Amino acid sequence: MTEFFQTLVSGLSLGSIYALIALGYTMVYGIAKMLNFAHGDIIMVGAYAVITTVMISEAIPGIVAVVISVIVCVVLGVTIEFFAYRPLRKAPSLTVLITAIGVSYLLQNLALLIFGSEQKSFKLDFFDMIKPIYIGKVYINGITFLTLVVTVIIMIALTLFINKTRLGKAMRAVSEDKEAAELMGINVNRTITLTFAIGSALAAVASIFYGGAYTYIRPTTGSMPGIKAFTAAVFGGIGSIPGAMLGGILLGVIEKFAENAISQWSNAIVFVVLVIVLVVKPTGLLGKKINEKV
Amino acid sequence: MRMLAVNNINVYYGKIHAIKDVSFEVKSGEIVALIGANGAGKSTILKTISGLLRSKTGSISFNNELITHTEAHKLIAKGMAHVPEGRRIFLQMTVMENLDMGAYIRKDNYKKDIESVFQRFPRLQERKNQIAGTLSGGEQQMLAMGRALMGKPSLLMLDEPSMGLAPILVDQIFGIIKELHESGTTILLVEQNAEKALAIADRAYVLESGKVAVSGTGKELAASDKIKKAYLGG
Repeated sequence: MTEFFQTLVSGLSLGSIYALIALGYTMVYGIAKMLNFAHGDIIMVGAYAVITTVMISEAIPGIVAVVISVIVCVVLGVTIEFFAYRPLRKAPSLTVLITAIGVSYLLQNLALLIFGSEQKSFKLDFFDMIKPIYIGKVYINGITFLTLVVTVIIMIALTLFINKTRLGKAMRAVSEDKEAAELMGINVNRTITLTFAIGSALAAVASIFYGGAYTYIRPTTGSMPGIKAFTAAVFGGIGSIPGAMLGGILLGVIEKFAENAISQWSNAIVFVVLVIVLVVKPTGLLGKKINEKV
Repeated sequence: MRMLAVNNINVYYGKIHAIKDVSFEVKSGEIVALIGANGAGKSTILKTISGLLRSKTGSISFNNELITHTEAHKLIAKGMAHVPEGRRIFLQMTVMENLDMGAYIRKDNYKKDIESVFQRFPRLQERKNQIAGTLSGGEQQMLAMGRALMGKPSLLMLDEPSMGLAPILVDQIFGIIKELHESGTTILLVEQNAEKALAIADRAYVLESGKVAVSGTGKELAASDKIKKAYLGG
């Protein structure tokens, strides 16, 4: 029983990371109707921003490095949207998709150029400050605890933002109907920029937890969590915010249990589950099929 | 006073020349109707006025301000509201949230205006917390109009408000348009239902394949044999 809960905790923690990244995929898809495959690499940039800041001076507290990382990622995400995606707003979706893949390679190769190919150790001072806790016999280390708590807070805040605030409602309006939103006086381009900013900030936060859990980063660090989070977003129903949360968490839990059972097959099992879900419910767990009234 | 002046616009969809040298005007306090068959370019003209499409030539001015190149989202603050074809309400949002979106640009407290929308459309009040996608066609049209009114427009542009509605609802919608007009809103109405439109319009323009074919007062056009034959079923 202890083992079950132990696995559950690590699954929830990994799932939280996936969920944070999946939110970026799903929000951008919902609003700009594009798959931003460079999103995973934002995590990598976020992680490098953290270790670079800490390297400059040991005196810089970890939390400052986190803030800098969030700022770097937001600026990067918004810049990518402005230069790479905005000119393609009316282009066929395949063009945009290929551009996104191009941006992804660009980011990876820039990181390779700047930081080299060898892996770098990822550590922040506050990881050790939070003492591990035991619930019964289940051990939860500091970074896992932090991941779970921060993710829950972010999810609640994001849900409230989307459903209750003026800007959040505007985002929903844009994702439903850009022209109608424009007629309401909503600046659609600015709303899309805001979406990229939020998605990138969440990716930066995810990068801290991902780096904390895996302790090493390299220029390709973003690809695997990126593709898993994309899977999670599709799993939950792409475009749906609760879907990305649920999909991410479930994917993490499934992956950890699969790893426990037959370790080398865990990734395969994750994707088999995705295939089954998509066969049974093509819109994903919480995705809605919209019947347009003419 | 001239409120809206459309001067010699030409609009293209790719290579298709949809609007050809169209000019017309709407004076303050009028109801002006654009009528014509399906595909004559009525909706295209409205979309061009509200900035969703661009004209290659000419100019559009609103309250003596040139808006030819103004971004669509800036027009509502100038007093122009556009209820698009097919209503285009936000189907996944509640009735209340749709009205909030109509008031998106407003910084003042607009609670009173929500009350007055509810007074005009009591059905919306009954369903204010319902998801808009669950409303009937008539209710959706009311919501689309209510949403536009939240922006306090001086010019209300309505694109096919009677489309797909049962006759009794069509009468109701036209009744509301009349009321809105009487309360001081200038109206530019696009309709396929020429008979109804001409009955309430001060003036009307008849569009044929992207051009203004005939124009005149509502009464004149309703009485013209040519119009009767082509648009009024005999």
